[in-house]
Amino acid sequence: MSVLLATIEQSGSTGEQIVFWVCAAIAVVGAVGMLISRRAVHSALFIAATMIALAVLYVSQGAPFLGMAQIVVYTGAVMMLFLFVLMLVGVDSTESLVETLKGQRIAGLALALGFAVLLFAAIGNVSYNFAVGIDGANAADGGNVQGIAHLIFDRYLLAFEVTSALLITAALGAMVLAHRERHTPRKSQREQSEDRVRSGEPQNLPGPGVYALHNAVGTPGLLPDGQPTDRSVPEPLRGVSAAVGVDHEDTRRVNALAAGGAIIPGKAEDES
Amino acid sequence: MNPTTPQYGDLALFGHDPLWLVILKALVLFIGLVLLTLFTTWFERRVVARMQQRVGPNRAGPFGLLVPLADGIKLALKEGITPANADKVVYLLAPMIAAAAAMLVFAVIPLGPVVSIFGVSTPLQLTDFSVSTLYILAIASIGIYGIVLAGWSSGSTYSLLGGLRSSAQMVSYEIAMGLSFVAVFLYAGSMSTSQIVAGQTDWWYAVLLLPSFVIYLISMVGETNRAPFDLPEAEGELVAGFHTEYSGLRWAMFFLAEYVNMINVSAVAITLFLGGWRAPAPISTVWSGANDGWWPILWFLGKILVMLFVFVWLRGTLPRLRYDQFMRFGWKVLIPISIVWILLVSAWRGIRNEYGTDLRTTLIWLGVILFAIAAIAFLLDLRRAPEDEVVEPTYDPYAGGYPVPPLPGQEFTYTRRAPQTVPATVVETSALESTGQELEGDRNE
Amino acid sequence: MGEVYLPILVLGILGAAFAVFSVAAPSIIGPRRYNRARLDAYECGIDPTPQPIGGGRFPIKYYLTAMLFIVFDIEIVFLYPFAVAFDQLRLFGLIEMAVFIVTVLAVYAYVWRRGGLEWD
Repeated sequence: MSVLLATIEQSGSTGEQIVFWVCAAIAVVGAVGMLISRRAVHSALFIAATMIALAVLYVSQGAPFLGMAQIVVYTGAVMMLFLFVLMLVGVDSTESLVETLKGQRIAGLALALGFAVLLFAAIGNVSYNFAVGIDGANAADGGNVQGIAHLIFDRYLLAFEVTSALLITAALGAMVLAHRERHTPRKSQREQSEDRVRSGEPQNLPGPGVYALHNAVGTPGLLPDGQPTDRSVPEPLRGVSAAVGVDHEDTRRVNALAAGGAIIPGKAEDES
Repeated sequence: MNPTTPQYGDLALFGHDPLWLVILKALVLFIGLVLLTLFTTWFERRVVARMQQRVGPNRAGPFGLLVPLADGIKLALKEGITPANADKVVYLLAPMIAAAAAMLVFAVIPLGPVVSIFGVSTPLQLTDFSVSTLYILAIASIGIYGIVLAGWSSGSTYSLLGGLRSSAQMVSYEIAMGLSFVAVFLYAGSMSTSQIVAGQTDWWYAVLLLPSFVIYLISMVGETNRAPFDLPEAEGELVAGFHTEYSGLRWAMFFLAEYVNMINVSAVAITLFLGGWRAPAPISTVWSGANDGWWPILWFLGKILVMLFVFVWLRGTLPRLRYDQFMRFGWKVLIPISIVWILLVSAWRGIRNEYGTDLRTTLIWLGVILFAIAAIAFLLDLRRAPEDEVVEPTYDPYAGGYPVPPLPGQEFTYTRRAPQTVPATVVETSALESTGQELEGDRNE
Repeated sequence: MGEVYLPILVLGILGAAFAVFSVAAPSIIGPRRYNRARLDAYECGIDPTPQPIGGGRFPIKYYLTAMLFIVFDIEIVFLYPFAVAFDQLRLFGLIEMAVFIVTVLAVYAYVWRRGGLEWD
């Protein structure tokens, strides 16, 4: 840590230091928040905050292209994660804490250890072999973007081309996981309308009844002969009409009114 | 002007303003954006009214100009509703993200050349750096968060559907938008907005790179969720989409963000394709001073107004697309065309750089012919594809009365009713099942 | 060199202050009249449709769109420095990029043919 502090004090103005401490705090808080928040969407939000803080750090270190690419790609990635989480765990559910992978703790520990070794090696490398700094690299090719272009398309040519294989794998994986083959041809708008005409009932479904006691789509409409019809009620509401406040007592009374009779008090009969 | 001052189009021009000037510029830009938004709401209502044979708002102030102000006051005095189902923190955070992100884009839009403000010579642009166009894309992708989070946190079905729809829509059209920039960078040799404007001294990129410009124009409408691509807030299907549950000033933040985004994408179109703040051709040829001093702001605002009129015009003319048509258009038309166009432009430029014009002409024709052949073959293949599905006579999806998957080499065929090969007894059972009445008895067997 | 980004910070603070004020203002100046129905999710006047336990799930189609978005986004991020430095990279850069784009287009064509770009 003291090595890190020393390097920071060596390089950069006070403005850069302020940026570093603010963004570092945000990044760490975001990372911790991601771990401890119970709702998946909150976790995704915390990751986004961490990513943006890192991007600001890159920019302040003189690597504007990397910083902006970080926001463009990682906000995109987090967005995907976000949607994925929404779709797989449901909109509102919290994380399940049951471990299903065997030995994942050991594997996780081993990976963390390896990462720590890498991290210390990198920091040690920086503090003993003094880094050249990015300003010289930027100036050599006439700008940050040009410098990156020369590195990608010249020195790291193979890595760049292999990236395309990685992208192929990603898209293929998504297809395998998420694509469902269509076995039946999709009905065009024309075919759908033809089917509707052939079904014998090409007209719209009847609207909510004029005599409805509830001003709601859950209330059945009346047919010309005064019978209430379930078809005016949207399908998801048909089974749950009790839950949305339509009781059959109402329909019965409406029916009676429509037939011209007086309202008969009495027990509701089942319409279905 | 001081001779040591860098020329316009040099990034060394930026980053030297004293702090008071930075704050002044930012403040003017911010207030200007809010005023322009208020004006745009009035402008849209007046123009669309005229297109629909109406008068539009005309009571408050001259020509109804004060209507946006009255709307603002009314919104400020409304109750701020937080639904019982909402995730409170995210629900309040979402409009802030949307509005703040929309405001940030204008920081890199060039409004004019170097002028003198209170004795300090400074470019009429808040700031610029080597990747400012990428910065615009980055801010745009942060802005999407506002919409998605609003949809998710409201705890309402319509909001969630609207938020998901709009995120899918915006990411799809952001790709087309990002691809349309590539040809511009190729010609300008830079991603900084001021250098791109400086590169358009002779020719606007809209003329040189017409396909890029057209792709950008289409994707910018999709990106701002405006008609005919306003599916996230399709009022006939989703009430108001992601902002169904918002009221008062919180709702106004989304409204503001939408209109500021309209102005943003217009400004980007102007900067990248329509010569930036430069005067259009007839004016600049007649009057040589048109591109000096403060005049460019006038040209810039004029171009913004034209772009906004196009937005309103589209809204007044075109019906909304169906969602599948919309996605198909983005993924199957805009993106392939963009990629092929990028390859063509870079090949054109690369061959010119390498061999000069003579060989280029020959090769271009060769390339055009090859491309035409490839395109025709591709189209023919697309047309042929449905007829390809040969019906395998040997495959029977209900062999033995039970549904079976196709074997390797067999094609799945869709049959409406059970085929003839099914034994009579099994047909009886399935007929009983289909009526649904005997289902219980059937299960008991 | 950080001075170039200072104006963005200033504009960001202005925008954020305005947004925070506008979001907080309704709780201060707006009226507050309790009404249970008003706090329910809006569904055109009826009581909200009961949601399945754990929330409704969504078409996994969106996942494919998001993944393709990332693929093309990364392609764009590579295309930008390529375009900017095009004149210095000469023909070799062009061939390299063409190979890259064609490789990515291969999977795009695959997704297209399998029907991954269709929406219902």
